[in-house]
Amino acid sequence: MITKRWSYATAVAAATAVVLAGCSASSSSEPSASDGPVTLTYWDFLDPSQDNPRSNALEENIANFEAANPDITIDLSVVSLGDMLNRLPQSAAAGQAPDVFKMFTPTVPQMAAAGAYSPLPEAASEITDWLRPPSNLVGPDGQQVAVPYEYRTCAFYYNQKILDQIGAEVPTTYEDVVDVAGKAGAAGFTGFGTGFSDTDNSAIISTFFDCFMSQVGEPIWNDDGEAEFAGTAADEFGQILADLRDSGGLGTSVVSDSYSTVTDGLTNGTVAMAVLGSERVITLTGANPDIKWGPLPEPTSGGTTGATLGWTLGIGAGTDHTDAAWKFIEYMTGAEAGAVMATGGEIPTRASTYDAEYFSTPEAETVKTVADYVESNSEPHTYSDDWIGVASGLSAAGQSLYLNKTSGSEFITAAQDAINE
Amino acid sequence: MSTTSAARALDSRTPSSSPAVASRRRRPDRGVWIYVLPVSAVFLFVFVGPLIYTAWTALHETNFYAIGEFSGLTSFTELFADPNLPKQIGTTLAFSLGALVIALPAGLLSATVLNSLHRFKRTVRGLFLLPWLMSQATAGVIWLWFLNPNFGPVTAITTSLGMGPTDVFSSPTSALVGVTLITAWWSYPQAMLLFLGALQTIPGELRESLKMDGGGVWRGFISITLPYLRNTIVSVVIVLLMLYVQMVTIILVTTRGGPLGATETLSMRVFNQTFNDFDLSGASATAILLFAVNVVLTLVAIRFRRKESL
Repeated sequence: MITKRWSYATAVAAATAVVLAGCSASSSSEPSASDGPVTLTYWDFLDPSQDNPRSNALEENIANFEAANPDITIDLSVVSLGDMLNRLPQSAAAGQAPDVFKMFTPTVPQMAAAGAYSPLPEAASEITDWLRPPSNLVGPDGQQVAVPYEYRTCAFYYNQKILDQIGAEVPTTYEDVVDVAGKAGAAGFTGFGTGFSDTDNSAIISTFFDCFMSQVGEPIWNDDGEAEFAGTAADEFGQILADLRDSGGLGTSVVSDSYSTVTDGLTNGTVAMAVLGSERVITLTGANPDIKWGPLPEPTSGGTTGATLGWTLGIGAGTDHTDAAWKFIEYMTGAEAGAVMATGGEIPTRASTYDAEYFSTPEAETVKTVADYVESNSEPHTYSDDWIGVASGLSAAGQSLYLNKTSGSEFITAAQDAINE
Repeated sequence: MSTTSAARALDSRTPSSSPAVASRRRRPDRGVWIYVLPVSAVFLFVFVGPLIYTAWTALHETNFYAIGEFSGLTSFTELFADPNLPKQIGTTLAFSLGALVIALPAGLLSATVLNSLHRFKRTVRGLFLLPWLMSQATAGVIWLWFLNPNFGPVTAITTSLGMGPTDVFSSPTSALVGVTLITAWWSYPQAMLLFLGALQTIPGELRESLKMDGGGVWRGFISITLPYLRNTIVSVVIVLLMLYVQMVTIILVTTRGGPLGATETLSMRVFNQTFNDFDLSGASATAILLFAVNVVLTLVAIRFRRKESL
């Protein structure tokens, strides 16, 4: 009898243990950096298994780092930006954030507010040769949480063949853009490629808006962190979109178009003009020789200086390996890794990188040209902790502008209201 | 032996009258708990626990994924005061019932075709099952490419016919119709499999009798097939409705709830509140409402099944 009771008790205890084992968070048995070998978890959107220049450069850099630091292993997880924005706050709340992760500049403050970052170590402040100041990569307490890994800004792309076909000069102002886009639209092309789809986090319209606000020198948020741009020079942005719509310069599928559909359209020769990130210079001009690029068109008041954007690297919240994580970040933003990433078409962020031998070769000409362009045509600015809300608000307002035929000022007001909602 | 003594003797032989025997009978009952407890523990862990946690979250303020102060019914008040809610409930019903109206007959028709096939049965079954073998994300991406207005194959066909490019996801009505059709296309094999299983239980003699009586295909369908499938139809309706009401992936990949919120079902609202707005409290309140909708639909279906079995 006693034996049977014990067997019941043991069975119940075993079942309970199985369930509880599932409940408990996995505890790391990994030693800290100072104790010996360390494995760093690293989230990046690039997949080294793919055969393209950027992925190959990342793979080479990780291999070089591991060879130079035999006690540190990099455990790379490929996570798209959209997934990263969803998963980072969750993993941070669960105490399972990666040791190091890549993040897009405008969303750094939002991820910092979500508690995804650890503060950078003191050593970070010793690096002073960033091409652009990293003062906007901060958390809610104003402390720097990330460093620039790659630079980009907005550029104006156009298809010279289409412009020649419709007898148009290269536009230098947004007013010209509207005229030329109307003519291109009448000739059967998409005059100006942009998109109001929310499926890729509204990447194209939010990037365009970010750069335009830099061009006209208007902040997006007030001191309280509320979006406040309606009734300022930002209204011209809405007016440009409304004029493009009225002139027939927007594509008929603009509501569902995204960043990739516009770049595909430029590559295929169906889109005449677009404002996109400078990171596309090498791929677009390589894929279609008719594609040319240059500075942004000028607004009525303002210049051609867009926002400095790009990818950053930061240390995940709650890491046990801050020293090793910083060592990795320092290497990845350093001269050796920078020269390798430049072979993949990315723009390194530190001045010292450009002293490397690679940058004196003809292959580096385009990268150097884009780097000069970013340095002379962009300025970093601060972001609030709700860039995803800004992007969603802009795409919703854009859909209404096209489908409900709202005015440019209504677009701006609707976007502002949606962001503050 | 008197009646009383006989009864007493019989009574003494009755197992229940003996305490030792009664104890033996109870012991196997106690053993049942070995099986019940783990199942109950898992049920509590994967269903009741999350449900309570969701309700708890809805009753508190949240900052990203951190739960803050108790806020009472604020999230529910905001949910029911939201002017978008009636439209989202309407979209959920239109999407779910629309997909059901397409997938149910498509599943039944394909199951009937498969059941009457004598050759190439495996090949045809494999072809019919193809949509369901793909993940929802893959199905969404394939249709996104297929219907792309700039370079999709459908656009190439419609343009060559002089009808211009297809532009399904750029207007509210066509986007809702589009995601509904894609979802029905992806899910109809699930109905087909359930119907096929039920069709194979119909006795062949019934059809032979019908044939001898001069009954045709239509009479066979009305008088034999449908009565045999009634309960299966109810089961398929429940399974598919649950699937559609909770559908996120196909909508997320193709429209993310747009344009102008035309494809934002309650499930998409939960997704957007969680991952776009990081409003976990509001998303939890919507999730509770969604759960209530599911419970109502299930209860209605269960009640219908009981009536059927009477």
